[in-house]
Amino acid sequence: MSAMDTDELPVVLPPTHTSGLSLSLHPLPILNISEHLTRLRLQTNSSLPFALGALLGTQNGREVEIVNTFELAVGEDGATVDQAFLIDRKEQYKQVFPSLEFIGWYTVASRPTAQHIALHEQFTAYSSTPLLLLLQPSTVFAASSDLTAQTLPIKAYEPTIEIRDRKTRSVFIEAPFTVETGEAERIAVDWAAKGGEGDNSLESHLNSQRAAVKMLHDRIMLLAKYVTDVLADQAVKDHATLRSISALIASLPASEHRDFRDEFDTEYEDVQLTAYLATLTKSASVLNDLVDKHLVLTATREDRGPSAPRRRGMGGMGMGMGMMSMGVMGMMGRHGDWDRFH
Amino acid sequence: MASSSSTAFKTFSLTNDVVEVSPQDEIYRFDPEANRTLNREQPWARDPHYFKVCKISAVALIKMVIHARSGVPHEIMGLMQGKVMDRALVIVDSFALPVQGTETRVNAANEANEYMVQYIQGSERVSRQENAVGWYHSHPGYGCWLSGIDVNTQMTNQKFQDPFVAVVIDPNRTISAGKVDIGAFRTYPESYTPPDAGSSEYQSIPLNKIEDFGVHANQYYPLEVQVFKSSLDSELLGLLWNKYWVNTLSQSALISNRAYAASQLADLAQKLTKAQTAISSTKAPAPSLKDDKQARVCHSCQLSCDDILTVFDIQKEEKKKEDQNQLLKSVRDSDKIASEGQHGLIAQVLKDVIFSMRPQDAARSEVSEIMDTTMAIG
Repeated sequence: MSAMDTDELPVVLPPTHTSGLSLSLHPLPILNISEHLTRLRLQTNSSLPFALGALLGTQNGREVEIVNTFELAVGEDGATVDQAFLIDRKEQYKQVFPSLEFIGWYTVASRPTAQHIALHEQFTAYSSTPLLLLLQPSTVFAASSDLTAQTLPIKAYEPTIEIRDRKTRSVFIEAPFTVETGEAERIAVDWAAKGGEGDNSLESHLNSQRAAVKMLHDRIMLLAKYVTDVLADQAVKDHATLRSISALIASLPASEHRDFRDEFDTEYEDVQLTAYLATLTKSASVLNDLVDKHLVLTATREDRGPSAPRRRGMGGMGMGMGMMSMGVMGMMGRHGDWDRFH
Repeated sequence: MASSSSTAFKTFSLTNDVVEVSPQDEIYRFDPEANRTLNREQPWARDPHYFKVCKISAVALIKMVIHARSGVPHEIMGLMQGKVMDRALVIVDSFALPVQGTETRVNAANEANEYMVQYIQGSERVSRQENAVGWYHSHPGYGCWLSGIDVNTQMTNQKFQDPFVAVVIDPNRTISAGKVDIGAFRTYPESYTPPDAGSSEYQSIPLNKIEDFGVHANQYYPLEVQVFKSSLDSELLGLLWNKYWVNTLSQSALISNRAYAASQLADLAQKLTKAQTAISSTKAPAPSLKDDKQARVCHSCQLSCDDILTVFDIQKEEKKKEDQNQLLKSVRDSDKIASEGQHGLIAQVLKDVIFSMRPQDAARSEVSEIMDTTMAIG
C-alpha cells in the first residue's frame, strides 16, 4: 500500500473506461481465496498476509469463466513468482481438468497498486491478458437494507495499455462480473452454507424454493417502486432501465408456446406416475404383510395343519402383486425403456 | 433472505473488529509438532473404532463435488489433505488425481502415485502443510458405500499410512436429492470382527453391486460427516447467496437428471420382478415358520434353552436379511424416487405459476388445485 502513496499515477483507469469482458465467476475460486487467506493469517499471525494464486478457467472470445484456483509460491524477496512451480501446477491441473486454462491471478489487497503491475508483468508469459482478481478483506459494508448495496468484496481487473506522454504503461480496468454456478456446485455451496445440515425433507426443499422466490419478489418490488416513483415524478427517468423493464414484462408469460406446455404436461404426468407406482408398491407390501400375518393366525388355529393351503395362498398373493407391478410397468411402457422388463 | 445477509454482515464486522482469531477459524491452524507427536503415538492403532467424525472444509467439499460431477458417468478419484483432531479426521483440502474409469480401475494405482507425490510436495511450498489423510472417489448413481475393491484399497491404506479415511460421493444422487450425498468410511483391521457382525465372512462374489455391498458391509463402518467453514467463508457465502439465488429458480432437477431418474426406475422394475418371483417361494415361510419351528423345538424339549435362543436369533436375522432384499426394499426405493420426483415437480410448478400465469387468469384456481395434489403426495 505504501507504493500507492509515492506513485503519482493511479494504476486503475477511471470508471469511464469500461471493459468489454463478459466475466463469470464461480463460488469455488472465491472460497478458495478466502481459505488461502484464513490459512495464511493463522500461519503468519498477521491480519493481512500476502496471498498469491493463479486463476483457472475457460476463455471464449470475450467471454471468460473463472472456475478454479491454485496457490502460488513466491521467491525469497516476496515479489517474484516462482515460475517453475507455476508451470508444474499448471500442468498438474491440466491433466485432471483438461478444459481449464490459465486465466489470471488473484491476491488480497484493497486496491491495485504499482506492486501489482510488477507482478502482472510476470504472468504475461502464460496469458496475453492475465486477469487480476482482488479480494478486499477490510471492506466495510454500509449497514443498509438496500439489497443492491450488499456486494461481494471482490473486484476483477483487466489489464490494458495506456499511452501517456508518448510512453506506454500497463494499467488495469475494472471489469464487472457475475456469479455463475453449476448445479452440483450450487448444491454443494448451499449445503456448506447451511453447515452440512438439512435432510432431504419436503420442508427443507420448500424452504430453499421460498427463499429464492422471496429474493425475486424483493427485487420485483424494487422495480415496481421505481416505476411508481417515475410516474409520480419523484425519480429520474432512466430510459434504458425503463426499456428493459418493459422488455421483461413483454416476455411474460414465459412458457406460452404449445410444445413447451406439452413437454411440461408430460413431465408432470411422468412424475405423478412414479408417485402412483410408489403407492402401489407400498400397498402390495402392506397386503403381503397382511397375508403373512393372516397365515400365521390360521396356521396356529388349524394346529400344525399341512402347509399346502399356505403355499397356495402365498402363490395367489404373489401373482396378484406381480400383476400389479406389471400393470404399472405397462403404464411406464411408453418410454420404451421399460418394455424389456415385462 | 435478508436475515441471512444481516447475519453474514454481523459475522463479518465481528471478525474485522476482533484482532485475534475467532474460535471458528482455529480449526485451520496446523501444528506440525503436535502432528508429529500424534503420528508417533498412533492412538488409532489400538482402537478400531477410534475415529468417529470426519470434518470436511467447505472448500474441500465443493472441490470434491464438482470433480465428481465433472466425471459422470465415470468414476473419479482424488486425495484429501488434513489432520487429526482428537477423534475427528479433519479434511482441509482435496485435489483430483488423473485416474478415471470404472469400479475395477478406480484405486490408487501406480500411474497416480507420481502425481500424488509431486502435488503434495508442491503443497508444502505454498504453506499447505497438512499431509494426505484420505482419498475420495465417486459412485455415480449407486450410493455411498465401499465395494470390495474399495475395502481392499482402504485396508491397505490404513495398514501403511494410517490415519486414512475413505470418502465416497454420489454426484447423481446429489443432484436428484438437492443435497450432497457423501459418506466417510474406515475399515476394520482384518483380524477384527465387529460385535454385531456375527458369522458373516469374507466371500468374493462380485456378481452385481447389491451383492458386493452386502458381502463387504461388515468390514467397515461409517463416520459422521460434518462441514466446517471459516468466518470469512460464511461471510462470503452469505453474500454469494445474493448472487446465485437465481440458479435455484432457473435449474431443474427433473431435466438435469433425467437419465439418472430413468435408470432408477429401470432398477426398481428389476427389483420388483425379482421380488415377484421371490415372494411366492422364499418369502412365504419366513414369518410363519419362525413361531412354527420354535414351537416344535419347544415341544420336543430336547434342546437346551440357549439353543432355542440361538435358533430364534438366526431366524430373526434371516428374516431381517430377506426383508432387506425384497419387497420392503423396493418400497423404500420407490418412495425415494417418488419424493425426489415430487420435489423437482414442485419447483417446476412454482415456476410455472410465477412466470407463466397472469393474475387475472381464470386458470388461477386450477393452479392451486395442482399445488394441493402435489403437496398431498410429496
